[in-house]
Amino acid sequence: MLAATLFAGAAALMPQLSWAGSCCGGGSPTSLIVPKFANAIADLSFDAEIYDGFWNQDGKHIADPPGSDLKQYRLNLGYAHRLAKDWQAGLSLPYIRNENKYSGLSSSTDGLGDASVALWYEAVDDESSWMVYDLAGMKPAVTLGLALLLPTGISAYDDIKNSFDVTGRGFYRLDGNLIIDKTIQPWNASLALAYGTHFERSINREYGNYVEPYRKQLGNRFSAALSAGYRYVIGTGGDTLTTTASYAYLREERGDINGVTDTTTGMEKQSAGVAISYANLDRDWSVRLAWNHAIAESGWGRNFPTTDIFTTGVRYVFR
Amino acid sequence: MFSARVIFLLLTLLTLPACGDNLFPSGEDKRPAVQPGTTGPAAGQKAPVFSVPDTSGNSVTLASALDSRKGIVLYFTMWCPICDSHMSNMRDKIPSFPDVGFYAVDYVSGTVTDAGISASANGFAGSFHVLADTSHLLLNNFQATMGTTVIIDSTGIIRMNEDYRDGSRLATVLAALP
Repeated sequence: MLAATLFAGAAALMPQLSWAGSCCGGGSPTSLIVPKFANAIADLSFDAEIYDGFWNQDGKHIADPPGSDLKQYRLNLGYAHRLAKDWQAGLSLPYIRNENKYSGLSSSTDGLGDASVALWYEAVDDESSWMVYDLAGMKPAVTLGLALLLPTGISAYDDIKNSFDVTGRGFYRLDGNLIIDKTIQPWNASLALAYGTHFERSINREYGNYVEPYRKQLGNRFSAALSAGYRYVIGTGGDTLTTTASYAYLREERGDINGVTDTTTGMEKQSAGVAISYANLDRDWSVRLAWNHAIAESGWGRNFPTTDIFTTGVRYVFR
Repeated sequence: MFSARVIFLLLTLLTLPACGDNLFPSGEDKRPAVQPGTTGPAAGQKAPVFSVPDTSGNSVTLASALDSRKGIVLYFTMWCPICDSHMSNMRDKIPSFPDVGFYAVDYVSGTVTDAGISASANGFAGSFHVLADTSHLLLNNFQATMGTTVIIDSTGIIRMNEDYRDGSRLATVLAALP
């Protein structure tokens, strides 16, 4: 039981995939996992995303207009609950504030972002996180999930005035998730993979103006995040400090309009991140700081903004 | 654990009523009828007259833009990834419509100089006539935003005012210009 309790804290630094809730990105983290033998987990985090140019369709990095200062702030509320021994469900809900300042225009808007609900199955448990005696001890934890992104945010197809009001993409998306996680104290490594498909929808309004109705579907989306962490025990009290480094890849295929491929869509993004998390002896409470950096050089993305995301969060595990 | 379950249920219930039209999208055509002969931003209306500087500092008016042309295209850009993608797509169509003027409307730059810098940095200075809408005259008159594409025919009637999407509507409407 002691091992299980300590292992519970390892999940605190699963790679958190944080995407902008905007016309370009949309969505919210879907990998909030209840640690083994805990009943629930609650998470409150705050993201500050600072824009720094973008990659065009050819992958060339281009600076933002002179005098611009573009930011998005997100307050994310997450909760996951254990339904049975190996099953759990979660909900993530962001609230978004867009702050856009150009040399000739300023805008400040806010609203609910796109929420997500997820169902997870813990297929394989990591039963040897302290000492590996044989090959079987290398067996990682494997978690499978389904996540549904809900278009609860303000999209381009709502009754809005302009693109600065947008806090979500306006489409449902179903993701299949796979998380492979292995801890050999004090080390931890994890791989999170997701593949999602957007549902086609009707559109009869763009930025508040009614238009001739048409049907649109965004492209399928693949993401992968690889992370490695190291845990330090602080003093003799048992509190811990975990540092994690991660790399994330995101790709969205081209979408369709009335069944015809829209060649102006589709995107790619590569980013790297570091995080530090502090947890108490019982691993009930943890706080974290994280920084995700999109590599603002040509060739590291396509048709997508390059940003830095600074995150601070607090998490509580219910036993 | 009871309280945790209550929080979970409350969160779920709070999510749904706060949403807009996206949870249950409509395909119903709700475009309002347009009174012919009126001036306004909608397709079928007369385009509002304008006079705005280009990135060279020269004044461009509706009349001067339409002079000796079948029509003009106004594309509203804030130099973003989507704008870049649309403008690249549109640039490929320009040779097919030599009698049409293609204008990119920069509504985020505060000066003509800034608009010129952005046009060059994004690689569109040579292919589009870039207008610096520093007073937001075009933005407001055409009720535009990022990606809005307006087509005005030689008589000053608006033939299209909507998002660029994949550019297919633009090509269809331009091909049908008298």
